[in-house]
Amino acid sequence: MDIQFALETFWSLLSALPLTLKLAATSIALGSVLALGLALARLSGNLALDLFARAYVFLFRGTPLLVQIFLIYYGLSQFPAVRHSIFWPLLREPYWCAVLALMLNTAAYASEIIRGGLLSVPHGQVEAARACGMGRFMIFRRIVMPQALRQALPGYGNEMISMVKATSLASIITLMEITGVAAKIISESYRVIEVFVVAGVIYLAINFALTRLVAFAEHRLNPQLRPPLPISAELKGEAH
Amino acid sequence: MNMSAAVTAPVAIRVHDLHKSFGPVEVLKGVSLDAREGEVISILGSSGSGKSTLLRCINMLEVPNSGTIEVAGEAIRLKTLSDGRSRPADQKQVDRIRSELGMVFQSFNLWSHKTVLENVIEAPVHVLKRPRAEAIEEAEALLAKVGIADKRNHYPSHVSGGQQQRAAIARALAMRPKAMLFDEPTSALDPELVGEVLRVMRGLAEEGRTMLVVTHEMGFARDVSSRVVFVHKGTIEEEGPPDEVFTRSRSERFRQFIKS
Amino acid sequence: MTEPGFLDIISFGRDGWGPVLAAGAWMTILIAIAGFAIGGVIGIFGAWAKISGGPVVRGSAEAFTTVLRGIPDLLVIYLFYFGGSAVVTAVGQFFGQEGFVSFPGFLAGALAVGITSGAQQTEVYRGAFRAVHPGELEAATACGMGRLLKFRRITAPLTLRHALPGLGNVWQVVLKESALVSVTGVVELLRQAQIGAGSTSRPFDFFFIAAMIYLAISTVSGLVLQVTERRFSRGVRRG
Repeated sequence: MDIQFALETFWSLLSALPLTLKLAATSIALGSVLALGLALARLSGNLALDLFARAYVFLFRGTPLLVQIFLIYYGLSQFPAVRHSIFWPLLREPYWCAVLALMLNTAAYASEIIRGGLLSVPHGQVEAARACGMGRFMIFRRIVMPQALRQALPGYGNEMISMVKATSLASIITLMEITGVAAKIISESYRVIEVFVVAGVIYLAINFALTRLVAFAEHRLNPQLRPPLPISAELKGEAH
Repeated sequence: MNMSAAVTAPVAIRVHDLHKSFGPVEVLKGVSLDAREGEVISILGSSGSGKSTLLRCINMLEVPNSGTIEVAGEAIRLKTLSDGRSRPADQKQVDRIRSELGMVFQSFNLWSHKTVLENVIEAPVHVLKRPRAEAIEEAEALLAKVGIADKRNHYPSHVSGGQQQRAAIARALAMRPKAMLFDEPTSALDPELVGEVLRVMRGLAEEGRTMLVVTHEMGFARDVSSRVVFVHKGTIEEEGPPDEVFTRSRSERFRQFIKS
Repeated sequence: MTEPGFLDIISFGRDGWGPVLAAGAWMTILIAIAGFAIGGVIGIFGAWAKISGGPVVRGSAEAFTTVLRGIPDLLVIYLFYFGGSAVVTAVGQFFGQEGFVSFPGFLAGALAVGITSGAQQTEVYRGAFRAVHPGELEAATACGMGRLLKFRRITAPLTLRHALPGLGNVWQVVLKESALVSVTGVVELLRQAQIGAGSTSRPFDFFFIAAMIYLAISTVSGLVLQVTERRFSRGVRRG
């Protein structure tokens, strides 16, 4: 293995890191909002909403992500209505097509994770909140959501790692994120092993950091799993 | 107890001709009950008799099919949907009335992501919009009163069932309720923990609080309550002061019930 | 070829794209089966290494699954496609062959998909083995079964029963992952749809039909797996 070449590759790939992170962060953030909406639709008790969410999850989990990316990036241009719409400047951009596809895809998987979290909150805790006179929205915000989040966090962590890996597919629609740059260097130099190792190390580092971050958040969010505080400890002020 | 109050004091909760069905099963078949201020009413009955449903209808955790419920003279307005089910006409009214009734559940239902103290101040701060500092002060006094001041910063999973239930009582009291509803408060507890909860409830009764208690504790019903109501198959089968009904009930079923 | 309508794309007639899309779908299934089978072999050895290997063997197996859980599958496909080509070219040069020799995309794809699914199947088999009640294995030893007999008659069937649901999930993942093999030029379903999309002005129709075919394959195979699972899980108590 050529150390000099590996170092050069490392710096080239590192310059592509921001794009990988941006793709992952944007699609995870937008996808989580959609996922919450889908999970609530599943639990709404409204048959139409429930069926829509079921169909959505079925379609997006049953087909390859790359097909979804192609459908959006190449497919949508088939329709003049899309080409003439106000969204066209965005949908023409590979970046936004990738974000859109990744977001729609992760929403399907994440909605099931969130739904599981919401279902895990014992009904008695909701009843106790009702009995105190809390409204639906307040119960959701103060009682259900915090606990659902805690429950869903480990699964969501895995989904986030999947998304980081999935950003590599954006290279197929010309985006030069880490895998895109790696493929370019390989096809120019034919030094597969070095490039693979360097790129692999970068992805592993991202996902390791992500895992630690999720574990830290889990620890912070789950005080009830830690040993009780000493009696003398004061209740910390809450900023509401 | 205070028998004169039971006749002259204003009505805190009035239940009139309550009907409730779950699907084809009619659980309550026209139940009427008045609880005057300061009364402690023990609601007895075998499982499936409808006694818990009766209690849960009072604060609309179950919506009755028909009948009326009044809390402090205010009737809860219901509307009938096109499919025959009924719903509260005004959810805001229901939320407000609920905040005036303290409920204690069989399985405690403390919010597991909040400490004991946070459980107690949650609704006063966020529903009643009381100042946080004031709510904490009052909560600490209540926790001291139920004897778990030292557990205030513990999470529910870190304290015993009896302590959880006492915290739940403090949580209900923190709303300064007009009446307290207890739904089998000691049924989920290990036998050795029942006593500490009953002691707290006895203390509340002696303060003159209005209490409706669904229970299996015959001792509590006999010694603490001012009135005993025996529910059987969705109707009130027997009703009266404990010393009367326990010694000379006309109901054969009730005599059977207290013997077993 | 004249501009096809939507129906021409799915038609098996003279101008229809039906036959080539069907061939692509068949290729997709072949890649998925090959990848899944390779993954199965890796998974069994990986699980064995994790369960009863020494510290070095166990550590390597652990490293293998951790690395493959953390890096993109596309990168693994590039590794095998370009790496395989490099090896084949070097061998070719050794025998006096001039120039670049390309590694078969099918083989590269099946190996890459196999390796990634092998990491997943390692976890499935390990989890399944841990779900087997140790008493049942002890009973086999107590009957005087030798190691191999015990594995063949008792351990393997019991583990497989617990592994079936997890293997079903891995199969669905493999099926979707096979689409990535299109980057090596293998004309599987997605590549065929790309060809259609590129040579007509109906890219959406082609990719949409490809998506529906993927959905059909995964639904049908999912049902088959469900039936198999039910057949093989007789007597398994579900918690």
